Amino acid sequence: MLFYLVKRLGLSALVIVLVVLVLFSLLYLIPGDPATIALGPRATPEAIARYAAKMHLDEPVWKQFLIYISNAMTGDLGVDVFSDRNVTAVVADRIGFTLALICASMGWAVLLGVPLGCLAAVRPNSWLDRITGVLSVGTIAVPSFLVSIWALLIFAVELRWLPAIGAGEPGDTMDQLSHLVLPAFAVGLSWVGYLARMVRASMLEVMAEPYIRSARAFGLRPRKIVYGYALRVAILPTITLIGMGFGGLISAAVFAEIIFARPGIGKLIYDAVMARNFPVVQGAVLVATAMYIAIVLMSDLLIAWFDPRVRETL
Amino acid sequence: MSVKPSEPPSEKDVGEPPIDSSGLPEHASAEEMRESAARERREKLKMFLTNWQGVTGLILVILFFVTAIFAPVFATHDPNALDIPARLSYPTLDHIAGTDQLGRDTYSRILYGGRVALKVAAIGVSISLVVGLILGMIAGFGPRWLDNLLLLIFDTVRAFPTIVLALATVALTGPSLAIVLTIVIVTSIPQYARVARTATMTLRNTDFIMAERSLGASTGRILMHHIMPNVVGPLLILAAMDVPVVVTVEAGLSFIGLGVLPPTASWGTILNEGYLVIRDTPWMVVAGGIPLILTTLGFTFLGEALRDVFDPRMGKGR
Amino acid sequence: MMAKDMETAPETLLDIRNLSVDFRTARGRVKALRDITFPVRKGRIMGIVGESGSGKSTVLWSILGLLAGNAEVMGGEILFQDDDMLRKGPTAMRATRGEDISVVFQDPMTSQIPVLNYARQMFDILYRRRNMSKSEKRKAAVEMMRKVGIPDPDSRIDQYPHHFSGGMRQRAGIAMALLTGPKLLLADEPTTALDVTMEAQIINLLRELQSDLEATIVLVSHNLGLIAELCDDVVVMYAGEVVEVGTVHEIFHNAQHPYTRALLECDPARITDVSSKLPVIPGDIPDLTKPQMGCIFASRCQRRMPECRTIEPPTAMRPSGGYANCHLLEGPLRDPDWPPPLDVLTVRSGESAVAEKKAPDGTPLLEVENLNVRFRTLGPVKARLRGVADPFVDAVLDVSIKVRPGETVGLVGESGSGKTTLGRTILNLQHADGGSVKFEGQEISNMPEARFKPLRRDMAMMFQDPIGSLSPRKSVRALITEPLQVHGVKGVDLDREAERLADMVRLPKPFLTRYPHELSGGQARRVGVARALALNPKLIIADEPTAGLDVSVQGEVLNLMADLQAEHGLGYLIITHNLPVVRHISDRIAIMYLGRIVEEGRASEIFSKPLHPYTQALVEGVPQPDPDKRLTHVAVKGEVPSLLNRPKGCDFATRCPYAQDKCRAEKPAHELRPDGRSHACFFPLH
Repeated sequence: MLFYLVKRLGLSALVIVLVVLVLFSLLYLIPGDPATIALGPRATPEAIARYAAKMHLDEPVWKQFLIYISNAMTGDLGVDVFSDRNVTAVVADRIGFTLALICASMGWAVLLGVPLGCLAAVRPNSWLDRITGVLSVGTIAVPSFLVSIWALLIFAVELRWLPAIGAGEPGDTMDQLSHLVLPAFAVGLSWVGYLARMVRASMLEVMAEPYIRSARAFGLRPRKIVYGYALRVAILPTITLIGMGFGGLISAAVFAEIIFARPGIGKLIYDAVMARNFPVVQGAVLVATAMYIAIVLMSDLLIAWFDPRVRETL
Repeated sequence: MSVKPSEPPSEKDVGEPPIDSSGLPEHASAEEMRESAARERREKLKMFLTNWQGVTGLILVILFFVTAIFAPVFATHDPNALDIPARLSYPTLDHIAGTDQLGRDTYSRILYGGRVALKVAAIGVSISLVVGLILGMIAGFGPRWLDNLLLLIFDTVRAFPTIVLALATVALTGPSLAIVLTIVIVTSIPQYARVARTATMTLRNTDFIMAERSLGASTGRILMHHIMPNVVGPLLILAAMDVPVVVTVEAGLSFIGLGVLPPTASWGTILNEGYLVIRDTPWMVVAGGIPLILTTLGFTFLGEALRDVFDPRMGKGR
Repeated sequence: MMAKDMETAPETLLDIRNLSVDFRTARGRVKALRDITFPVRKGRIMGIVGESGSGKSTVLWSILGLLAGNAEVMGGEILFQDDDMLRKGPTAMRATRGEDISVVFQDPMTSQIPVLNYARQMFDILYRRRNMSKSEKRKAAVEMMRKVGIPDPDSRIDQYPHHFSGGMRQRAGIAMALLTGPKLLLADEPTTALDVTMEAQIINLLRELQSDLEATIVLVSHNLGLIAELCDDVVVMYAGEVVEVGTVHEIFHNAQHPYTRALLECDPARITDVSSKLPVIPGDIPDLTKPQMGCIFASRCQRRMPECRTIEPPTAMRPSGGYANCHLLEGPLRDPDWPPPLDVLTVRSGESAVAEKKAPDGTPLLEVENLNVRFRTLGPVKARLRGVADPFVDAVLDVSIKVRPGETVGLVGESGSGKTTLGRTILNLQHADGGSVKFEGQEISNMPEARFKPLRRDMAMMFQDPIGSLSPRKSVRALITEPLQVHGVKGVDLDREAERLADMVRLPKPFLTRYPHELSGGQARRVGVARALALNPKLIIADEPTAGLDVSVQGEVLNLMADLQAEHGLGYLIITHNLPVVRHISDRIAIMYLGRIVEEGRASEIFSKPLHPYTQALVEGVPQPDPDKRLTHVAVKGEVPSLLNRPKGCDFATRCPYAQDKCRAEKPAHELRPDGRSHACFFPLH
């Protein structure tokens, strides 16, 4: 088990390094002076010079890369070109809002989607199953940023039930929660459908396995068979797929932050891109990516915890 | 699906007595067999047609293609024609879907936006599919180190949520449709490659591939004749399910200003303009969103129905 | 151990009366069971024997209400303890399952949940025992594991199924079934997935447990030997109907129904005359979606009369309480000369007369000498990390074997013996790590593919899984002619060739347009033969040629192969673990254990006078379809050791009943005797 952990951590670190590499190379693949590209055509010569100095642009490329990596490991992600603040500080300010959004979205999606999928699998072709099926496909198909826009339109603009933009007053939990409702709803909606379908399909497949028939033959209670045996096995591919689909969740969250003007990492990246604040872009993208990889790693570990066969092959 | 040595052809499902699948005794005549095959084809068609999701999907998909290709025929106005006095109007007989903030006819812009969507979908999906198929087959069939390398590359690419990659790229290159397409293609390839790889790896260990090798068939022949035909099916269904994703990505990126640039009509830009005036009139976001939803729903329903009919094994959410 | 006599007439524990079950399928309504009636008497072992499509498993699942969703019980009763199992409500049914009636499943590899350890699974089974504490439950479970012969049960019970080998898993499955002390035990093909030596152990175990616990068992199997070994009473089923019921002696020594008779005659374990062709019951079971008139077996019965197709056969009772349904036994068409004495054959044997086989001669087609094949177990990095010096297993160790033109050599081994690897290495599909493989005198081991390819025309392989070895999206015609295309054979009309080959294997022409998933096992096998023959090979390596085939039809493929050999002088290397079959068709036999050949010689001698103790164990371990020839004791214990843990000294020493110190210390070398037999044993039996 330990070996597995080490291997996964190593691989994750490797991926992060590669991500930074890609970002770096994007900068250098594009013809022209990196500083000018990063800062845009309207940058003043002084700004360019300052930027060049800060980014050590006079050093050879590979050295810059290494400097960046070593800095990143100690928590220094560079300096915001405009505000002169540490990128790390800027990111740290905002990451909480994004995490809250992600947790809330995934949370309600799991709480609703998994039981729905289970129930649909246990009663195939019932009205519950059919409705779940249609709704699932429907919610998966509808683009989440559109849901964000329409939710904003209906609940915030027209009905005025919920606030439209921002994350709420700091310190005021209720206000912050009310600002979380619409974005979390929009981001989580497609996941409800996705999870319900996944769990249903997985459960149906597991329920057809011979060992479920054995459990029935031993007279075990139906609830035990469904939740203690079938779901226990069926949850594994579901967890894998959640891990893999997380990229989509983050994309949806970024759009939600933009549409609802929520000050999270997504909006940070967007604003930085628009303002050509490249160090912030680089730093925030790195953090977002690291977050994503951490979540995938967690899901893999969860699986190893559930499935003894996985634990041992590694 | 191996047969154990001393086992008779087993009753796989508790329910099915294992007579051969067409139900005909061994020495059936050619007549009976042709009939049976025809009956099976009719069954499949019936299955598809009675699936209301599939039919709806098909209709919506056809609608999408037709309106996009024949946009000039269906449009009532020039999508870029300004008409400031008539700006931000609600639907009227003249402007079926109202006008935007510059007085342009929303309905016509929607039709032309469909063209953009179609272009992105067609080019994006086909290139991703072909490249993904090839890479996936190589990863699945080739040496271990190559597989590991390709997997690492795929994982890295997938580590970027699309939007983040798009933002990072556009930060440097400026927005354009070509960039959107490239991003869409690059981020789609891994999923096709993954499916192709899994299918290839499953097939690689089957007896029939071993049988082909024992005949002396070359790797190329095996890949082209035996592996690819069995892999393409799930990929095509994936493609049907991928179109909505691709169209959505384009719309999303255009929405936040990173894709198609105004004044070109794209569903994304329409939504963008509508978002900016959302407190004045809700109509634009509604009108801009409807074609997007119909298209994504259509392709998704169609893909689901196809999967149910042709490849029920695949319908396990893999 | 003598079968109990029916005269003491113990009470009936389970009474099945007029059971009829339909299945709703895409093809229509299949009448899978029609009017099934037989009693199961307490304290006895009842065997239900039948081939594929007989419905035997369906009867079993009906008892416990475990039929598939598309099943519909059309009528009848199953009486157990004054209750009709068919009419029991779900709660009452659940109370009976696992408590009064238990099941042992066919495949222990798939019928045990992989993510829970055995202790958990057994706790779950005991959930109804509320007055038992957790430690008491554990004690009971451990005790049961010990009873079924699992060593060190107290620690092994905490392990997961994948830690157990196949035989052990089946033992665990039996332990789980007996844990609640059920009155009735149902066993669905309990030994089919196991090796011969393990099968013998499980048979013995079941016998002991049954007499210890005085349990009543209903056993379903297609294996006549198993039925004869274990059962007291037998029910014979065909295509959804019961055709005969009787005690085991009655069925095996005095079968009344033509089908029972035919079935016995086709079983290669019974056939003593190895020079004739294998008998076959021609034809196929009828289409059960159509209504059946008259006798169900009429279409394939050798003694059918016109009335058999239209009039239901009458029931002829036996004094012991059994019966058989046949016109020949009762009523106006009764034939007093039926059934004929046991040495008279009632079925035809094959389609053509026994072809004269030329004596094998000349230079060997295939000559394998001291062949070694190793597999890497750990990557070099991991091996270093874990301190494993030699991260390899020897799948094939020092193997030598010869096949001459016109000769059939049988390669016999159980799982882990390396026989499949050997076959693949000979065909250059696997890298050889030492030794030589010569084809017609030419060294071919590890030959580069480009040079080897032309030789592939002379050496063909037939694969174990008949349908799985055919590319699913190619038609039969494409598959048969593919060898010609792969080797670029020019100037041949592919269609004509396809038809010629189809004729050769007696596959009707309409089948050329079918796809693999539309073929039955037997048909797919014949396609495999046709493919192998396409390029006129000199040698065919056949991997389990009878796997998946019913006993009554496997003769067709084997007779076909024999005919082809006589006509063309083909050499065959048959890889199998089916001893009765290999005895019938082989000239010479080589026995493999853990990658080595432990004995080799003429087929008749191997069976009559085995030299190596393992050979003896195999030969004696095969369940004989004769209740008078029951295995009295099981000499060989334990499991085949893992290749990762090759024993020091003789590979078989850990299990050999005759093992001595020398055996455990040194490895015996191959010894060739003057009479042409060879073996690898310090103390051969003869």
